[in-house]
Amino acid sequence: MKFRCEREILADVLATASRGATNSGGTSPVLSGVRLDVADGVLTVTGTDLELTIRASVPVGSDSTGSAVVPARLTADIVKSLPAGSVEVELTDEQMMIRAQRSEFSVRPLALADYPTLGEPSTEPFTVPAADMADALRQVVRAASPDEGRVVLTGVLIAADDDGVKLAATDSYRLAVRDLPQGSLMRSGDQVLVPARALNEVQRLLGSAEEMRVHLGELDAVFEIGDVRITTRLIKGDYPNYRNLIPASYPNTVTVGRDALLEALRRVRILAQGTTPVRLLLGADQLQLSAITTDVGEASEHLDASYSGDEMTVAFNPEYLAAGVDAVAGDEVVIAVIDPMKPAVLRGAGHDEYLYLLMPVRVP
Amino acid sequence: MRLVIARCSVDYAGRLSAHLPEAVRLIMVKADGCVAIHADGGAYKPLNWMNAPNTLADNGDHWVVTNPKDETLTIRLHEVLSDTEQEFGDDPGLSKDGVEAHLQELLAAAPEVMEDGLRLVRREYPTAIGPVDLLCRDSADQVVAIEVKRRGEIDGVEQLTRYIERLHHDSSLGEVRGMFVAQVIKPQARVLAESRGFVCVEVDYDALRGLAPDELRLF
Repeated sequence: MKFRCEREILADVLATASRGATNSGGTSPVLSGVRLDVADGVLTVTGTDLELTIRASVPVGSDSTGSAVVPARLTADIVKSLPAGSVEVELTDEQMMIRAQRSEFSVRPLALADYPTLGEPSTEPFTVPAADMADALRQVVRAASPDEGRVVLTGVLIAADDDGVKLAATDSYRLAVRDLPQGSLMRSGDQVLVPARALNEVQRLLGSAEEMRVHLGELDAVFEIGDVRITTRLIKGDYPNYRNLIPASYPNTVTVGRDALLEALRRVRILAQGTTPVRLLLGADQLQLSAITTDVGEASEHLDASYSGDEMTVAFNPEYLAAGVDAVAGDEVVIAVIDPMKPAVLRGAGHDEYLYLLMPVRVP
Repeated sequence: MRLVIARCSVDYAGRLSAHLPEAVRLIMVKADGCVAIHADGGAYKPLNWMNAPNTLADNGDHWVVTNPKDETLTIRLHEVLSDTEQEFGDDPGLSKDGVEAHLQELLAAAPEVMEDGLRLVRREYPTAIGPVDLLCRDSADQVVAIEVKRRGEIDGVEQLTRYIERLHHDSSLGEVRGMFVAQVIKPQARVLAESRGFVCVEVDYDALRGLAPDELRLF
């Protein structure tokens, strides 16, 4: 098997598929490789750890047909390091030769017979606009938990009801929910729990695409963006009933410029070291941010804001607060609070399609 | 444990034939009968070995080790450089990492966390191939063998399978079922465990430790 491809294109397709070839479970050495398939002048590169599979295709110059598994990281590193221009790859059972200008590399392939057989999607796809989904994923995926100790919280719930489709993620400290208009995405009552890790990859690829095709199966979901296909196992388990967590009304609301708040948070966080929270003093037409790290120092900043409610101080994990402010749409953010011990809601002013629920931190 | 350093050659005959030409090597004869021939390198893996049970015939200048499948390992001793023997006594086994051992201890103290009505028979229940983490009885008095892991992966399911096979030889226990317990169970391990009839249970280590987190949580 032999093919020729531009370095930039080959490096890109190898890097994309390699993100699936993490071999994180350590179950089989061959999973640290990517599978290369060449047929009809198209190279398909596949990386998988059996939970997440990324397959990317690209046209190449080739008259041959064949398959091989090669070390993912090593091959990607070699191609990336080559001088710009055409790269020739030749594969036999014993070795892979990579040549570009005066550079030549020889790499031993992995056992093709050991590579798992990966199936095709079994369900009909539906199409969603890439921009809508990219925006929704940007807002929601950040709230998913990285802790595999509670595996359902590492996923993003995509659920349909009569009003539309909702994306939700929570790590038990915060909750992000985004409404999407009901298109042909799902039938009312359907829901799936998709690993946030897979959706991060989807989000990464959506930037330049116009639309995405989605296949939702019983056990897995498939996302097709251009020439890249991401297949992920779905998470099985009961997702927390997050709807009950969202208070019906809030007596205290502050509206403040989103960028000004982000900038102020960035500065004040410098003195919110370790687990120190950032405090928000809510008062008449102003918002004061402060952080005190014992034996180090303190920071505070006043912001113009419109406030309605009782004067109070409420404290938050600064990282989670900044993530929420960053996620909302629009120029102004509305922070709605019941009291310093109950969850607060962040929304973009005039953007009710997204909410970020954040639990405060107890302070003396 | 007998340790012999010798200039030797080795021939294995069985499923295939293998020959190690004459060289200086370490021959380990363990108390359980395992024989392993090591070079001075190559990490833990011997050049050749024969697991117990087997019989070792010491014919002076050559040993013949034979297993029940009639596979033989013939070691020709051309020059013995050292021959020592040392009694090791009982081995305490591989100590588990702190969290896993503590998790096992916490579950032993509160087996009902894993299943209603479960009660502990013994921690580290001994079998010929190693101790079962927890042996319990359920509300119907059936014996439940429990393997406890921090992360539930396929090798843990295989381990539990081997223990259950062993426990089935002990008629005093009656029917034994398996339970695979971990903080998180990987999907492939869950599928394998459930296909073998094992119950899978994920447990919250912090909750078992009774930690009340300082942070307020949504749920």
